[in-house]
This record gives sequence, structure tokens and C-alpha cells, in this order.
Amino acid sequence: MRHILQELWKRRWRLLLGVIALFIVDGLQLIVPLIVRSAVNDLVGGKAASLTLYALYLTVIAVLVFVFRFGWRYFIFGTSRLIEQEVRNRLYAHLLRLPQGYYIQHPTGELMAHATNDLEAIRFACGQGVLMISDAIFIVSFSLAAMLGISTRLTLYAFIPLPFLALVVLKFGRVVHRRFQRVQEAFSQLTERVREGLSGVRVVRAFAREEGMERAFHETNLMNVQANMALVRVQGIFEPTVGFLAGLGTGLILWFGGRGVLAGELALGDLVAFTSYLGMMVWPMMALGQVVNVLQRGAASMVRIQKILATEPEIQSPPNPKPLPASKTIEFRKLTFSYPGVAKPVLRGVNLHVEEGITLGVVGLTGSGKSTLVRLIPRIYDPPAGTLFLGGVDVRELSLAELRRLIGVVPQDVFLFSTTLRENIAYGRPEATEEEIWQAAELAGIAEEIRSFPEGLETVVGERGLTLSGGQRQRIGIARALLLDPPILILDDALSSVDAQVEEEILRNLREVLRRKTAIVVAHRISAVRDADWIVVLSEGRIVEEGDHHRLVRHGGLYARLAELQAVLTR
Amino acid sequence: MMGPHSHAHWEEEQLGKAFDVRLLRRLLRYAQPYWKLFALALILSGGISVIELALPYLTKTAVDEVLVLPWVEVQSPTPPVPDALELGEGRYLVRDADLPEKVREELEQRGAVAGRWLLIPADAREAEVALRHPDLFLTTSQGYAIPEEGLKNLPRDGVWRLRRPQYQYLGLLALIFLAFLLVRFGLTYGQVYALQYAGQRIMFDMRREIFSHLLRLPMSILDREPVGRLVTRATNDVAAINEMYTRALVHLIQDFFMMLGVLAIMFRLNARLTLFLLAFAPVIGVLAFWFRRKARVAYREARKVLAQLNAYLAESLSGMAVIQLFRQELRSLKRFQEINREFFRAQMRTIMAFGLFQPAVAVMQNIALAFLIWYGGRGVLAGVFTLGGLIAFTSYIRILFQPLVRFSEEYNVLQAAMAAAERIFLFRDLPQEPRGKKPVPALRGEIEFRNVWFAYNDEDWVLRGVSFRVRPGEKIAIVGPTGSGKTTIISLIFGFYRPQKGQILIDGVPLEELDLREYRRHLALVPQDVFLFTGNVWDNIRMWNGGLTQEEAEQAAKLVGVHDYILRLPEGYATDVKERGMRISVGERQLLSLARAAAAEPKLVVLDEATANVDSHTEALVQEALRTVMAGRTTLAIAHRLSTIRDADRVLVIHEGKLVEEGTPEELLAKKGLFWALWQLQFAGASDSRA
Repeated sequence: MRHILQELWKRRWRLLLGVIALFIVDGLQLIVPLIVRSAVNDLVGGKAASLTLYALYLTVIAVLVFVFRFGWRYFIFGTSRLIEQEVRNRLYAHLLRLPQGYYIQHPTGELMAHATNDLEAIRFACGQGVLMISDAIFIVSFSLAAMLGISTRLTLYAFIPLPFLALVVLKFGRVVHRRFQRVQEAFSQLTERVREGLSGVRVVRAFAREEGMERAFHETNLMNVQANMALVRVQGIFEPTVGFLAGLGTGLILWFGGRGVLAGELALGDLVAFTSYLGMMVWPMMALGQVVNVLQRGAASMVRIQKILATEPEIQSPPNPKPLPASKTIEFRKLTFSYPGVAKPVLRGVNLHVEEGITLGVVGLTGSGKSTLVRLIPRIYDPPAGTLFLGGVDVRELSLAELRRLIGVVPQDVFLFSTTLRENIAYGRPEATEEEIWQAAELAGIAEEIRSFPEGLETVVGERGLTLSGGQRQRIGIARALLLDPPILILDDALSSVDAQVEEEILRNLREVLRRKTAIVVAHRISAVRDADWIVVLSEGRIVEEGDHHRLVRHGGLYARLAELQAVLTR
Repeated sequence: MMGPHSHAHWEEEQLGKAFDVRLLRRLLRYAQPYWKLFALALILSGGISVIELALPYLTKTAVDEVLVLPWVEVQSPTPPVPDALELGEGRYLVRDADLPEKVREELEQRGAVAGRWLLIPADAREAEVALRHPDLFLTTSQGYAIPEEGLKNLPRDGVWRLRRPQYQYLGLLALIFLAFLLVRFGLTYGQVYALQYAGQRIMFDMRREIFSHLLRLPMSILDREPVGRLVTRATNDVAAINEMYTRALVHLIQDFFMMLGVLAIMFRLNARLTLFLLAFAPVIGVLAFWFRRKARVAYREARKVLAQLNAYLAESLSGMAVIQLFRQELRSLKRFQEINREFFRAQMRTIMAFGLFQPAVAVMQNIALAFLIWYGGRGVLAGVFTLGGLIAFTSYIRILFQPLVRFSEEYNVLQAAMAAAERIFLFRDLPQEPRGKKPVPALRGEIEFRNVWFAYNDEDWVLRGVSFRVRPGEKIAIVGPTGSGKTTIISLIFGFYRPQKGQILIDGVPLEELDLREYRRHLALVPQDVFLFTGNVWDNIRMWNGGLTQEEAEQAAKLVGVHDYILRLPEGYATDVKERGMRISVGERQLLSLARAAAAEPKLVVLDEATANVDSHTEALVQEALRTVMAGRTTLAIAHRLSTIRDADRVLVIHEGKLVEEGTPEELLAKKGLFWALWQLQFAGASDSRA
């Protein structure tokens, strides 16, 4: 709750305007019954003189109510939208700082749920919640004052059902809330059943168990109906009960007030006004239960958002980064690494010295730690302190932005944004010229295909556009990295989805570029690393062989076997 | 990472018409079985409407018949009407109801109407009060008269005795009021219950139908559509339609009758005033119409921006590594803030559109009230209209205007329901997986591929002319590099897809002629990733096959050696495998999957072996279980295990969609081809590095 109040406090002036407008609206609306009272009393007395005046008052009030009602909607709901916008911005800015490790533990779906449902709950608490509370306070206190002004005794009579009403609202409200949660639970179970049935559809179909799956679904489906009907049973009573008790108040006034009128103790107009006030108080009473709920949900959501915002990024620039060294030598010293939450290390005691300007090849079987090795260099995951050095300086002591500016990475799964090819290739350098973009595309061996698209570089990729093949995506990824012209280039199995001939061709093109850079080429095909200056072979996180191609083939180990397989495959 | 539909869950909402006769008719078919409930709900809501309308009428009656004194004092030199009662000094008492409109109006203008009086016939029992307070009463030819102010000077019990009939009448009215409230309470509960029950049943039926249909769609469609989208069809979209049944439709009908009823009563009370008030209707109608367009545009615009915002966010979350590696955090943040601000503006426009409409209706309501007081007030004085009638009118105006406000909400609900129905029916109309008619009472287990060509899309061939034959009882291992087409062969054997060229024969019969469901009952699949369903261990082994008993499931578990493990679970076989905190290791999952296959007692077992490493103890268990399940059956295995390959009668080596080598493991090793190279790498290599 504290955080929500903080947000509201930040916008207090705007909010105050809204609340004042609401105050005026409520006040004006409460004058209406007074005018009607005077009119009725005049009519009873047979006087017509003031009727036009009353009508005029009512019209003026109507117009004022219109203006101020618009005002409070604008300011109160507007404030809640403003808070929503700001918290969303803050959330996104923070998400941009969180490292990859965070996203493995918190999948996109989960974070999206926070960004949508939780923000909505917060907005609701700040908008609807504030409105209902202020409105209830104003209306109840105004009406009460007016009613007491008309007749103290009658007010007491009118309030006979009120304790019951409050009791019903609170008591039922709690039961309704509980059953409502049960409904939501049943609904998510239902959703999970459907999701499961469809995700596991191959298994279901392979065993021809569609009927069985339907039976399982039937149960969940039925449970959902039962949970809903359980809610209906209480909610169905709740609202009519409130209606009944509110009506009972009117009935009591009709009886006691009517006797007062008959006895000449109460004017008829007073009675009419009195019932109007009573009617006005029903809504805030009913809202009472809801308010608590809305605020609770908003507060709970705020806590969840705050938890994300309070997560310190595990990978950050040091407070006083060391200047970038001139040398671009990369050195691994006894590096052992395991992913957060996994006990088994992926890399064990890796010692490796990558001279500036050379091309290093990395090979190994699936799961041997190749990709992890290169991911540590730009600190996508953090190497332990004192294990990974750039030009003799621990990478953890360099500015993160400066370090990353030195490195171009092409991963195996190239992620493209659903925008044009131009924007994707120029992602790291939006200011790149047309010529530079084509040059990069040319080098990556994708230029010809781009030219063959009707819209060329303006072709939109992704969900709403063209679906590219894996090989095409990888080559766009290479062009994207090349355009940065970084001193260090990492190709992480970046050509796995193109066939061997194309791979060779692209590598031939790249040879000239790679010569000017420090390059690390991770590959599962020997042909991709054959020409590298130095090759390391990884197995279960260790470097088991290293040397140049010929030496490794002569050695007759894992590398030689991989080379043999390759030879057979391309035969 | 970027699949073709990775962010599809945040798809844009398409909003179309609120009324689509074709869709509505189709939707109503689901409601048909429950028409009695709907009829009941409508009847009940009719009753509620009657009571809603009767309550103000009761108040009116109370005012007119009880609370207002019936006699009016008129100052006039001559009797204003023939049977006026003379009070003396040019003052006459006239019964309110007897005063003709014209005369009354004229008197009103002269200011000759003074106040109200109570008259007690001389022979009435109450006359005794008048006798006791002669100073307060005037004696007239028809009895004792007392002015309204005079009543205040009487002692309480005097007033009480004087007005006993009215007290009794008032008591009666209060009792009727109470009775109405009770009846309304009952009717409302009944109506809500009937409607909700009908709505829930309809949702139940629709969901069952949609789920069954989705389960039977061709695999090619299921591959194409993201699961999230399909799930939404069966869950949220159905809920949107329910809103229409339980809220919009009934409210619309109810509101319509309510308006008719109000108008009828108002006309009966005073036709002219009603007509004047109705003049406000076109104004409100135009206002509502204008608003509807305005608000719809604003609302839709806001939803569109929201979809954009969420899509951007989802994409950024998936591509966070790229953003960070290319150091585009600031640019991404700026773009996000832009869309976010755009969303804020769109929301403000919606707030303004709604903020204008609802207060505008309220303004019309208040102006109508002003008019009522001004015009109706004169009418009351002119005797055209009773005071109670006027008071009742103030309530009826509210009832008359309420539906107009509600209508805008209902419109949104209808629109959302139609859009949901459109999406649901789009899937509902897709044809199911085609299946042949030939029954498969028994299976020998002979498989033949004859020059099979297959592509998932277009000409992107995954299999290029594969031919082989598996004899009943034979054990076949399929080997090949990643992406060579091994899994596709398995999918084709199950009939998940049809080859574009060539033929697959099962026991000599073309697969497409077989009743696929019957055929699959003789098969068992042990997939690479074991899929466990919500439910207990029994359910997961039986896979909801009603024909299998718990004992048979346990038998299968014993057969594959996972029985002891299951017994160690918190609740044994009754343990929910998806419960929070349940951690079932990869090896144990594989064993459960094998138990599932064993329980199905298949003729043909198809395995896609997992590559994941398990500890050596579990590995031994799994190998033993595999042998047990495969014993005496035709088996086809995509093999990664040494033991599976060694046990195979024959090995098929697949490379780039072609069958490149075929023979016993020994033959192939001697050949020194692809199989030999793979063998060297996987098994010789593994033993090297582990050593």
C-alpha cells in the first residue's frame, strides 16, 4: 500500500483537482433533492411563484455537474493512467538492465503477466479505488448531514437497516472474494488442461487417446462450472440482499415519515427529499466491499512490480572502470563456470590465450561448452573474477558498454526484430549508410537474396512479414555484426543452418575481414575452422585438444574423428 | 529464437460489428438446449420490471391518497364550483378532484388558492375530536373543517384518532411495499441463478466441443498455430460469448420491456407531459449514437496501441540479449516510452469520450427534471396532475434514462462476443485430420515405405525417396546426423502427415485407407521429451484409457521397474505429477513413459531416444526397461544408445532425407561408411573422454 500511496502523492495536485471536482459534483447533486423538496412543499401549499426559479436552478446545476463530472473523470482517471505509464516506463528501463541469467529464470510469459495484469491492478487501485473512496466519503457525509437537517428521528429510523447492510457487505464480501479466487483458480486449471492437451497432442494422438483426454478435460470443465455456480450462489444473494435492505430503508421512511406528515410534524417535500438522500447512499455502501478488494489487489501487484524493480542487475559496470587496454588479447585463466542454479560446471579449468588478430576455431560435441565459452567474453554471463582478461585486464573491471562495443556477436539462434531488414542489419548502427549496409550484406552472402525480395531492404520480417529460413536469419545476423566493424568478432555456430558449400563461400568472403580482427569461430563442422590459426577442441567443458588443423588430424583424437565423419557426410 | 509466431499471444484485437446475424444465429444454437432457462429468466425479469415500476407508483398512491389533504381553500366571491362548501368571507372549500382544470388555472392565476383542509363529517366517530377542540375547527354544512396548520395545534393522540383511516391505509401501503421488496428479492435471485446456470452450461458445451475439435485438427495446422492462440479460443473467447448470453442479450430485452412499461405508466399518468419529456429522447438518441462512434473509435485505437505496446515489450524481452550486446538500451527505451506515451494519449481520448457521454446523459436527466418541475408543477397546481404523480414521474425519468447509459456497455460486450465467435468458428470450420475407413482389428506390424517424399512446406524436401521394409517382429534402429529426417519418418508412421509422393503400407494396406485411430491403438510412442499430464501417476500411465484398470497400470510400472520408485512418492500412485515442488528426474520420466507404452500393449513400439545423460544406475534401469518393452514386438528406434543399436536386427542410416546405408550393425561397421563414422564419434569418442 505504501508504494501506491507514494505514487499518488507524487501526483497529488492533479489528483486534488479531481477530488475537488468530485466534491463539487457530489455537493451539487445533493442540492437537487433540496430543490425538489421546496418545489413539492410549494405545490402542497398551492404556490407557483418560484417554480421557474427552481427549474432554472436545476438547469444550472445540471450544466455545472456536467462540467465538473468531466473534470473529475479527466483528473482522477487521467492520474491513474499517468501512474500506469510511468511505472511501465520504469519497469521497462529496469528490465533493460537485467542480465540474461534473469530472463532464464523469469520467462517472457511471466514478465508479460506482470507488465499487463499487475499494471492494470495498480491503475485500478489508483483510479477506481481513489474514486470510490472519495465518492463514498463525500456522499455519505453530505447525505447524512442533509438527512439530519430534515429530521433526526427519521434519520435514525432510516439507519435501522444500515448495520445489517454493512454486515452483509463485509461478511458476504469476504465469501464472495474467496469464491472468486476459487473461480480464477478453476479457470487457470482449465487453461492449463487445454494447453497441455494441445502441447502434448502428439502423445495423445500417438496413443489414440483423444477420448481419454476429453474425459480428463470434462472433469476440469465441470469443476470450472461448479466453482462458478458456487460464486453465483453467494453473489446472487449478495446483490438482491443489498437491494432489499436499501429498499427496506425507504419502506421504513414511508411508514414513519408518512405518519409524521399525517401528524403535521413533517412537510411532504421533506419526506420526498429524505428518500432521495437515502437512495443516494446505497451505491457507496455497496462499493465498500469492492474498495477493499481493489486496493488489496493493487497493493499486491505493486509489491510484485517493486520486487522486479528492486532486483539489482548481477552484471554491471564497476563503479570505477579501468581504461580500455590497447591490446585486444583475450585470455582465459583456469576458468570454471556453471550457470546459476545448476551445480554441474559447464566449463572446467579452461586455460586459453587468444593473441590479438588471430582466428580461433572452437569445436566439440553438443553440450561441450563451446557457446558458453564465447558468451562469457562480452559478459552475457559473468565469468568468475580473475579468470577472463582482455589485454591483461579482468573484463569485470572494464566498463560494460566499452567492452561490448569492442565485440560483435553472431549467435546460432539469430534473433531478429519484426521490422525491416534494413533496420535489423543496421541495428547496432542506425546511422549506417546505404552503401555500408549493402557491403555488410554482401560479405554475409545475403545481398543477392535481399535483392530478390520485391521490397528489398524494406522487407518486413517476422510475424507480420516474411518468414526467413534459419540460414537466411543467420546471414542477416552476420551482416548485423559486421556492420559494427568490431575489433573482436564472435561467430557462435553462426552458419549451422546453411549448407556446407554456402558456408565455405561465406567464410572465404570473410577471410579478408577476419584477418584484421580477433575472431572466434565456434562450429560443429570442421570445414568452418580448418583455416583457423589455432583450434581448441572442447569435451565436457574441458579443452581436450588444441593446435592447428593438420596437427589435430594427425593427433587422431576427437577432432580427427569429427573430420572423418565430415568427410563421409560430404562424400 | 524468433519463431514465426513468437508474439502472437499479444495479437491485435479485431473488433467488428456488434450484430452479425449469421454469427448470432450460430451462437444461438448453443443456447437452444437451455431455452427454458432463458424463458424463465425472461419471465422473472418481467416480474422484476413490474415491481420496479410499481414501487414509485406505491409512493405516488401514498402521497395522493394519504399524505395530501383532499380539500382546497379557494378565495372567491362566488362558489367556484356548484358543490363548493362555504367557509364564509368569500372562502370556499373544494374537493381537489372536483376542481375542473380550467377553473383551477384561472384561480391559480388570481392567486386565489390558499391552503389545504381536512373535513370530518359530523356523524363520523372522529368528530368527537373536533368537539373536544372547538377552537381549532370550523363548523360547515358538511361537518368540521380544520386547516393544515391547525393540525399542528392538536395533541398527538388527537391527530392520530382524527386520521386513523389514513394511518391504516399508510400501514397497508408500507406492508405492500415490503412484500414487493421480498418478491423482488426472490425473483432477482431466481433470474440471476437461471441465467448464470444457462451461461455456464453453454460455456461447458462450447468448450467441450472446441477442445475435442482442436485435438483432432490435422497436425500441420497444429504445428502452424501457436498453442497460446488455440488455448485462448477455448478459454477466454468462450468467456466473452458467455458475457453476451448472461448480460448483454438479457439486459437489452429487459431494458426494452422496462422502457415500454415506464412509457405506458407515464402516458396513463399524464400523456401530455410524457410527450414533452419524450422530446428529449431523440436528443439522447443522437447523443448516444454519436458517442458510440466516438467512443468506439477511441477505444479501438487504444486497444491497438496497447497491442503494439505489449508486442514491443514481448519482443524486447525475447531479444534482450541482442539489445544489450548491441548497446541499444537507450534507443529501445526511447521507442518504448514513445509507444507508451501514445497509449497514454489514446487512453485519455477514451476517457474524454466516455467522460463526455455519461455526464451528458446525466445532464439530460437533470434538465428533464427541471422541465418536469417547471411544467409539471404548474400542472399540479392546475389540477391536471396530482402531486404524487409528479413525484412518481421523477423516479420514472430515471428508469427511462438508465437503459440509454447501459446500452453503451452492452454494445461493447456484444462486439467483443461477436469478434470472439468469429475467431472460434474460424477454427471450428477447419476440417479434422482425415482418416480412412478400413477397420484395424489386429496388426501384424509390417511397415513398408515405398519411395516416400515428404516436405512440411512446399518443396522443402525433408525426405527424398525413402524406401524400406520392416518385417513383423523386427527391431530396427534409425541412425543419422541431426536434421537428417529421422523424426519425420516416425511422424509419418503414425500418420501425422501424409507424404506428397510415394506410399506407406501397413500390413500391406496403404496407411491413408486405415482408420487412423484404430490403427494407432496398436502403436506406442516413447518420445524424446516425456510429456506428463496434470493428474496422478495412474492417469499418466493409463493415459486416461478407461479400459485399463489401476492394477494393469501398476503391472506395467512393475514390468519396467519403476514401481518401487512410484511407491516412494509422497502419495504413491495417487501423487499428482504436476504438483508444485514435484521433481521427477529425466530418467524417471523416461521410465514412466516406458510404463505408459507397456500398458498400451502395442504391436508396434516407436522410440525416439533421449540424448540427455542420466546417472548410470538409472541408465541401467532404462536399458532393461527398453528391452522388456521391445521384447516380442516390432520396434523402430531412433537410437542414441549403444545397447539399442547393438540389439537391433537392422540399422537404417538416414542422411539429408535419404536412406544411405542399411544392414546389421556389424555389416555397416565393416563398410566404414557414415554409420562407422558416427559410431566412432559417438561411442568411441565418449569412452575416450570419459576415461
